[in-house]
Amino acid sequence: MKSTIGFAGMTHLGQNSAAAAAAHGHLVVCFDPDPDIVRRLEAGERLVTEPGLDELVADHRSSLTYTSRVADLGRCDVVVLSTDVPTNDRGESDLVPIRSLIEQVSRSLAEHALLVILCQVPPGFTRALELPKERLFYQVETLIFGRAVDRAMHPERFIVGCADPAAPLPLPYRTYLESFGCPILPMRYESAELAKISINCFLVASVTVTNTLADLCERVGAAWHEIAPALKLDRRIGPHAYLSPGLGLSGGNLERDLATVMTLAESTGAEVSVIESFQRNSRYRKDWALRTLHRELFSKKLNPHLGVLGLAYKENTHSTKNSPSLALIEHLGDCRLTVYDPVVPATAVNRPGVQAASCMLDVARGVDALVLMTPWPEFRSLAPRGLADVMEGRTIVDPYRLLDPAACGEAGLSHFSLGCPLPRPLEH
Amino acid sequence: MLTHHHAEPIRPKRVVILGAGGFVGGAIKARLSADNIPLLSLTRKELDLLYEGAAPRLAGFLEPTDSVVLVSAIAPAKTVPILVKNVRMVEAVCEALSSREISQLVYISSDAVYADDALPVTESSPVAPRSLHGMMHAARELMLANSTKAPLAILRPTLIYGAADPHNGYGPNRFRRQASKGEPISIFGDGEERRDHVAIEDVAEIARLVLVHRSRGVINVATGTSTSFGDVARMLAHEYGVTVVRQQRSGPSARPLHRFFDIVDCHKSFPSFCYTPLTEGIMKSR
Repeated sequence: MKSTIGFAGMTHLGQNSAAAAAAHGHLVVCFDPDPDIVRRLEAGERLVTEPGLDELVADHRSSLTYTSRVADLGRCDVVVLSTDVPTNDRGESDLVPIRSLIEQVSRSLAEHALLVILCQVPPGFTRALELPKERLFYQVETLIFGRAVDRAMHPERFIVGCADPAAPLPLPYRTYLESFGCPILPMRYESAELAKISINCFLVASVTVTNTLADLCERVGAAWHEIAPALKLDRRIGPHAYLSPGLGLSGGNLERDLATVMTLAESTGAEVSVIESFQRNSRYRKDWALRTLHRELFSKKLNPHLGVLGLAYKENTHSTKNSPSLALIEHLGDCRLTVYDPVVPATAVNRPGVQAASCMLDVARGVDALVLMTPWPEFRSLAPRGLADVMEGRTIVDPYRLLDPAACGEAGLSHFSLGCPLPRPLEH
Repeated sequence: MLTHHHAEPIRPKRVVILGAGGFVGGAIKARLSADNIPLLSLTRKELDLLYEGAAPRLAGFLEPTDSVVLVSAIAPAKTVPILVKNVRMVEAVCEALSSREISQLVYISSDAVYADDALPVTESSPVAPRSLHGMMHAARELMLANSTKAPLAILRPTLIYGAADPHNGYGPNRFRRQASKGEPISIFGDGEERRDHVAIEDVAEIARLVLVHRSRGVINVATGTSTSFGDVARMLAHEYGVTVVRQQRSGPSARPLHRFFDIVDCHKSFPSFCYTPLTEGIMKSR
């Protein structure tokens, strides 16, 4: 028997989770209080960029009902809260909107219906809600921008926070979870809420250690991409470890969890200096491209022409929240700027006089330096020789090593990337 | 990190320089004069901050639209009496500021306020001085911050070099003087300690930028490139055709103490400003 599942909040998370539930055979009610969002979803408009999402929705459209009437959630066995929890500049959560949505939704629930919170909330949040605990659950979400469909369709496990972890999960909720065919781990609310944060802290630890050692690589002439495969073969580290150097943390969710740990430490006295170090390292690494450009370009040429490829915070997404590219552009000195992103329009750049290129090669035309700030897969197809032909200068700042450094060298380009030794100065 | 009250530069109505007769004060005066910025340059002759009555005398000079640059110091503060004198000088400034409104206060501090092991040093590095000199500047920063409502910009320069430097401290200035006299340049051990050396003209330029943007906050004045004393000596020796001689260190050999700066805050505050490379700066100061 399949359940009727409601999703409250047609966010990135909500849209992907709802489509995955429909794909697993459930009837799904997709509620959002914003009628415009509902109208656009009903019309098949794309509100988020996520590989495979359009197809998944199209394939299971008959199981998906979109509504802005909260009362429509009354026919659901399980209602999953999938709204965004906004954060401030310090990554701290604003819980006012989610509390308001919970109040709105809980009034419309059927008598037997269960409420599941699928949002990032701090430990203690779920238990403090004045709702019947036998019908209230917290579920860890593990959305990854750009891989959200795959994660929603094939979760590694379900982590479920309950009032009583020893009690069996109510049938409609269990049926829904079991349809995905992965392990289900019930635990107390606080453990589940902290499990989500723990997962992210471990990811951040890998990212931070990688970034720290990649920085050292650049200074001592080592190459991180030569070291990383050796680490992946170590069982204690593993083949799926996050070992690709990056420009600090971005996107907001990891930062949110670090901020939550810091807040918890302030109120409990826990020793969390390592978390503070993660935050500091992230701030430091975010400015890698700015440092490189000052060293290689701005200190050598007045008012240079710069091309920026990529504005989204990562590949396969339209999201620009905490985008390293936009952060870089914000701090650029006097220069002419041309930008291109496959999804994000140039109007996302808050700077007068920015030129929008019509394609990725066009952005390189006449520039003194080219910066590849988002690792969109299509950027890998750029031929260094073709770039050298149209560029005025020779500097390529390619943090994610999308271009082949050797081919760049052969084309007479100076190629700078994370974790790589500095290229030898070009002979003139 | 600095915040600018003026996103676009605006010339201050008048800049009052306290300590305009010194190496740093003189350079700031010269830089601002070059832009025809109205100045009131006060040296110890016009205003000795250690004299009784210094506070009301200073207050008498100040107008609400003035930007004040405080450079006066007895440096380096190597003894307790000198530290106390330096604190008393700023006590007079604080007293004057308590009775006079001004537009901005710029304090020339020092990177000595940071711990020796802060690596890399940034504006967010904790203030944890290990020397009397560092403690003197840290105390003065705090005193000033508590004495004025005007935007306070604190500049923390690292080792400054320049032709007019009256000090003959170990580093580019002393090396250049030795070399220009045809003497060998002497370094301690292998001269392996790496430090950031900043040209006096760059210190003056940062002060100018902070004034025209009416900035508030802290900025380190360092180039972001650290060079060993040995390399500086060899570079000058090559230029002047002299030799470099190694001097035995007295006492047990300690781990070399390096200092590196991350100057990304400067890139963000003043995106179009670039520091003078050490080689170029030293040659210019010949």
